[in-house]
Amino acid sequence: MKSYFALVRGSFMAIMMYRLSFFFTVIGNLLYIVLLYFLWSSIYRGVETIRGMSFNQAFVYVALAGSIFTMVKTWADWEISWHITSGSIIMDLVKPLDFQFYFLSQTVGFMAFNFIMIALPSALVLLLFFGADVEMGVGLLFLPAGLILAFLISFAIDYIIGLTSFYTESIWGISMTKEIITTLLSGALVPLQFFPDAAQRILRLLPFQAIYHIPLTMLTAPNLDVRACLGLLGTQVVWVVLLFLAGRLLFTRASRVLMVSGG
Amino acid sequence: MNDTVVHVDHLSKHFRILNRREGLGGAIRDLFSADYKTVRAVDDISFDIQAGEIVGYIGPNGAGKSTTIKMMTGVLKPSDGTLLVSGNEPYANRRRNAQTMGVVFGQRTQLWWDLPVIESFRILKEIYRVDDATYEKHLGMFNELVDLKALYSQPVRKLSLGQRMLCDITASFLHNPRIVFLDEPSIGLDVSVKSKIRSVIRELNRAQRTTIILTTHDLGDVEALCRRIIIIDKGKIIYDGPIGKVTALFGAYRTLKVQIHNYKEGTSDQLEAALGARFGGDAAIAVEHTETGWTDVTVNQDQVPLFDVLRFVMETLPIKDVRIVEISMENVVQQIYDGALK
Repeated sequence: MKSYFALVRGSFMAIMMYRLSFFFTVIGNLLYIVLLYFLWSSIYRGVETIRGMSFNQAFVYVALAGSIFTMVKTWADWEISWHITSGSIIMDLVKPLDFQFYFLSQTVGFMAFNFIMIALPSALVLLLFFGADVEMGVGLLFLPAGLILAFLISFAIDYIIGLTSFYTESIWGISMTKEIITTLLSGALVPLQFFPDAAQRILRLLPFQAIYHIPLTMLTAPNLDVRACLGLLGTQVVWVVLLFLAGRLLFTRASRVLMVSGG
Repeated sequence: MNDTVVHVDHLSKHFRILNRREGLGGAIRDLFSADYKTVRAVDDISFDIQAGEIVGYIGPNGAGKSTTIKMMTGVLKPSDGTLLVSGNEPYANRRRNAQTMGVVFGQRTQLWWDLPVIESFRILKEIYRVDDATYEKHLGMFNELVDLKALYSQPVRKLSLGQRMLCDITASFLHNPRIVFLDEPSIGLDVSVKSKIRSVIRELNRAQRTTIILTTHDLGDVEALCRRIIIIDKGKIIYDGPIGKVTALFGAYRTLKVQIHNYKEGTSDQLEAALGARFGGDAAIAVEHTETGWTDVTVNQDQVPLFDVLRFVMETLPIKDVRIVEISMENVVQQIYDGALK
């Protein structure tokens, strides 16, 4: 456990080495919020609610989705793929560590940094300067757990995508597909409520909405009770367990076909 | 038996590789092809390595060196045969095995690119659960051998290749492994750094009785460090024994590279015949025309003076350019096939 914590600490330090990149992410994220504000203002011009959501709810939902994006985006798929195709995976495999937790630890530092430095300040800006309101209910109490589980689901998916490099040697196509699916079908771009009812029923069966829609529901849905929140967390936990196990299974299979470059 | 660190018995590794066809049409057909060929990267090799040995594991490109190392480090699963490292089967016990070994691959680093060197060491200390006293002792020892302290605060990506290699070697010994694999540790380094790296390796082997397996292209590394060498070619071991006999080989042979004006097919055979007639040596002089346009004349100086050969060649053929080089790994292997060690 201590060894994985050392990796978390290391990745937290590593991301701090790139100060300039950090400033641009902050600025970019603020610009994104401004853009969303005007976009959704014009969508809501002359209407009170769309599919049961007020402007405030919809705006908070999509703007905070942007903040969640900065913390659940692990890049682990690209990282793993790069290690596999460049052959440097051999340096990972000769360490006495579990491969999945090894990569997880190295992304936790990034996540923590992005949460403290980007997601949290963006959320504060949103609340203070855009007059946005979040629901002050039990949902807020469950939010930290919801966000952590969202991160774990996102990582588990990226981990699986990264491992497909063992077979395909390039993950560009599959990673872009995942990116588009996650963005469109998770609530990251458009609240899930805006989809037709039939589509919503299918989307709720997929893991993607557990990354964005579930934590955002905790923040924006009125009158959530404890039971509803536990239900949301339960869905996330199921996905974490399933996707982590799938990743482990894939690694066991994939490492059998492993052929590190060179001979 | 107790002191055997590596036990290799009839070990083989076969790869199945798709037969690629040429051209765009071929590439498209390859997408659906099931036409595989089997490559025997390592073919039925056996040896034992005792604690404290430094063994040079050498051979030309594609000989199967890296494949063997990857099996010993638990990254690749052997196709056949027995392989035990510190009594474990590396592939089956990857994580346990990893705890007892150190690895340096010359073209890769195990350090964290963005972090200061010392932070990488600290992470490795936790990963391998090294206690504070051992950690301090080791770092102290490295500081005596090479002054690394000045580098500690530098991010790894800012180090020179030589500095990084020294840090990587330091890192691989931090957890006091029983065995360390060094794969091309001196590749791309200049002479002074090479000698520094050699003295560090020698000292670490002496101080901790660490077993070291060194794969390299650089015959200088082998001469400086190893008492025993294993030469592998096309997946098979062609020599396993003391270095003495083989050094004589490196030492005595020189390759005279000449560029012949108007080189024609068969010129090299004529030259070899002419040299044979003039100097009478059977295996002493070998002539080979290479793809680069140079003709290699490999001479055993114990039998024939190099300069006599050079003079003879210059008199017989129109020569544009001449170079004299030490024998290459490929030539050593060729000489062994030709019976130079018998």
